[in-house]
Amino acid sequence: MRALVIDDSRAMRRIVTRLLQDLGFVTDEAGDGAEALALLEAGTTYDLACIDWNMPVMDGLSFVYAVRERREWRGITLMMVTTESEHDQIVRALAAGAHEYLIKPFTPDALKGKLDMLGLVPARENA
Amino acid sequence: MISTMADHVVAIAQDMFTAMVDGESGALTDRAGEAAVLTEPVHAWVDIDGERPLRTLVATGRGTADRIARALLAMGPQDPVEQDDVRDALGEIANVIGGNVKGLLPERSALSLPVVTFDGREPAGALVWTRSLEWHHEPLVVSMWDVPLKREEQL
Repeated sequence: MRALVIDDSRAMRRIVTRLLQDLGFVTDEAGDGAEALALLEAGTTYDLACIDWNMPVMDGLSFVYAVRERREWRGITLMMVTTESEHDQIVRALAAGAHEYLIKPFTPDALKGKLDMLGLVPARENA
Repeated sequence: MISTMADHVVAIAQDMFTAMVDGESGALTDRAGEAAVLTEPVHAWVDIDGERPLRTLVATGRGTADRIARALLAMGPQDPVEQDDVRDALGEIANVIGGNVKGLLPERSALSLPVVTFDGREPAGALVWTRSLEWHHEPLVVSMWDVPLKREEQL
């Protein structure tokens, strides 16, 4: 499985990337929503995108809207990974088309639990 | 009310250091005694723009900031820590704390992108509360500020 980690913080991208790789994902990184869209436009196919909310250039919610407008990208599971913890914000993200929501700071088990719920833990981890 | 908010914020900071920096709990603790004097202070903050504009600020010395960046970015012991590394690491810490504070507020608000400065000056504002902490026995201060309205800043 292939995952795209979208966060303007290199530190956070490194943490999420490492956890996903430990679970068996192949990963790419993008520093904002526009960079992530460029990767999708280039034809890379992803099973999962982990998306920060507050980013320069294009924020995470705008990225979710942009992905959900394209039929060919409907197979991507979108998970917000963000500090935005209010109920209203969670509802907005889910209404826009995100599948799951993980609030920073989070533990490795919390991330794995979300992926399990989404049926997205690669076969290697479940073997 | 204020002490409750401060306690929440310290708990968030401790959770964050456990999950993201140290991998185990107990490294970020309350600091007893006099307020810490920071050597070459680095300030990182985010603003929460709402009914009452607030700023959550994290400050520590440059040496400690370098060690935090090294841990967060998984840099080797010989890798040089650049200012951009510190900006990224401290900025994300301020972002996580500020975002969780925003979630505690009753009214709707918006979170700014993080700002990190190395010139030693604290940003403008009125101190609401401050908490002196230690990370691996080195001082780290978390505080909350009332942010001056933009109109007032221009006067």
